[in-house]
Amino acid sequence: MPHFGEIAEQLRRSTVQVTDGRGPGSGSGVVWSASGLILTNAHVARSRSAQVELWDGRRFEARVTARDTRRDLAALRIQAAGLPAATPGDSAAVRPGELVLAVGNPLGFAGAVSTGVVHSIGALPGMSGSQWIRANLRLAPGNSGGPLANAQGRVIGINTAILNGLGVAAPANSAAGFLAQGPRPALGVTLRPLPYGLEILEVDADGPAAAASLRRGDVLLGSYEQLNQALDSGRDVVRLQFLRGANRVRETVVRFPAPQAVAA
Amino acid sequence: MSTELAAFSSELAAVVEKSAPSVVAVHARPRFPSSGVFWRPGVIVTAEHTIRREDEITVTLPDGSNAPATLAGSDPGTDLAVLKADFPAPLLAPAAAATVPGQIALTIGRSPDSGVNATMGIVSAVSGDWRTWRGGRLDQYIRLDLTLYPGSSGGAVVNIAGEVLGIATSALSRIAGVAIPSATINRVVDQILSRGRVSRGYLGVGLQPVELPDHQKALIVLSLAPEGPAASAGVLMGDILVSLAGSPVADTDDIQTALESHPVGQAVAAGIVRGGVSQTIDITVGERPRRE
Repeated sequence: MPHFGEIAEQLRRSTVQVTDGRGPGSGSGVVWSASGLILTNAHVARSRSAQVELWDGRRFEARVTARDTRRDLAALRIQAAGLPAATPGDSAAVRPGELVLAVGNPLGFAGAVSTGVVHSIGALPGMSGSQWIRANLRLAPGNSGGPLANAQGRVIGINTAILNGLGVAAPANSAAGFLAQGPRPALGVTLRPLPYGLEILEVDADGPAAAASLRRGDVLLGSYEQLNQALDSGRDVVRLQFLRGANRVRETVVRFPAPQAVAA
Repeated sequence: MSTELAAFSSELAAVVEKSAPSVVAVHARPRFPSSGVFWRPGVIVTAEHTIRREDEITVTLPDGSNAPATLAGSDPGTDLAVLKADFPAPLLAPAAAATVPGQIALTIGRSPDSGVNATMGIVSAVSGDWRTWRGGRLDQYIRLDLTLYPGSSGGAVVNIAGEVLGIATSALSRIAGVAIPSATINRVVDQILSRGRVSRGYLGVGLQPVELPDHQKALIVLSLAPEGPAASAGVLMGDILVSLAGSPVADTDDIQTALESHPVGQAVAAGIVRGGVSQTIDITVGERPRRE
């Protein structure tokens, strides 16, 4: 019968360090399958490749096989076998107050453990996706992409952000959805809310928005909620109204690639 | 499986679930709503510092619906506000045992977008009567070693059995969250429901601690409110106040304590030294003017 320390140790072995070479720091990741599937945050793995370091110090070049910016999840693949995979839990069964532990590499301390309780489960203003787990435990930036586990050591979420001091994790069921159905349709832009719409701050060169000739400075009409609804409508073509320069409303048609499951 | 840890975890979650039907979200300030607790049927208590408007206050009820609430009154001194909302809600059981340092405490709050929420920690210190920097008196000082987030203030502080110790506030101490104890809440709710406010005794004097030649500590009168209770009773500037209601006074906290047991309208004997001569003046306790 494993004690707390053993649960933490098991979780540490399923936690990896992820560096994408773009930023100075590193994030964390979770070994999702023994055959080399690693889950982390999309904001940790921004490039097509990343470096992964296992708990035992082994280093691997990883291919970023899928990114879902709206769930803030990314799937990585390393050439390895027999890895200590984490056991996912059912995040729909999570209750406020239950014990949780997180493992990650906050501020460069590899494999640091923090504990606390689930604060709440629900939508978060300003973050897309319907459900996020908020936890009353101390996280630091390097925790991003690492596991949030329950008292049984099952991974119920991927630590994603810190909001007003609370840890915010993408639920494990959302991760399962990402792996089964592929990334949610996304425009491939960075947006900033304005009183009358959403200003495009950045356009990914190979994203659907770029293909639909949306540019930096364009303002999409409507709110985040309306945009998310349109993106989640299931259609592979979405019409968007936007403002460019003068006060004339223009329209563009955005095409999304067909969803593809992430190979396990 | 670690059954003990898992059992403890579900015990904590069960406490939150059990307390949730008594906890509401309170919308009375911009941005972050706070939390509140059904303390009596139709009566919600919350932290006064989270109430920024007197009208158009609403609460998010345990069933997720929003309902209007009216402000019955508030007491900034103890950081308590009392709201009325017509909704049948179960009340939390009062704690059977005394609150002790080291015991596990949870705060239970509510937010409109994610429902009930919880934080956990321990009671880190408990002491007796405590005067807040806002001038009120808490029956106990209960310091919490747990994180209070925006929105946690006004939430229930419960023990591991789900019994209520008080409500949480981040506004009474700079170094830690504090639980306003149930005894204080009961006292303040009684006064607010019967009189609409908590009246505090008032003498209308400005005092400064001084040391007398015999090393006794006392308070010198530096200012007098015109036609205030002390001025009307004949107290003069420069008088040295040595006792109130028979108890020696060395600092202004002693005045507050003496006035606690002397309701507004009652006379209190003030021991005064004027020009080296001791005398007693009876002052009729007034009511402290309300803050605008």
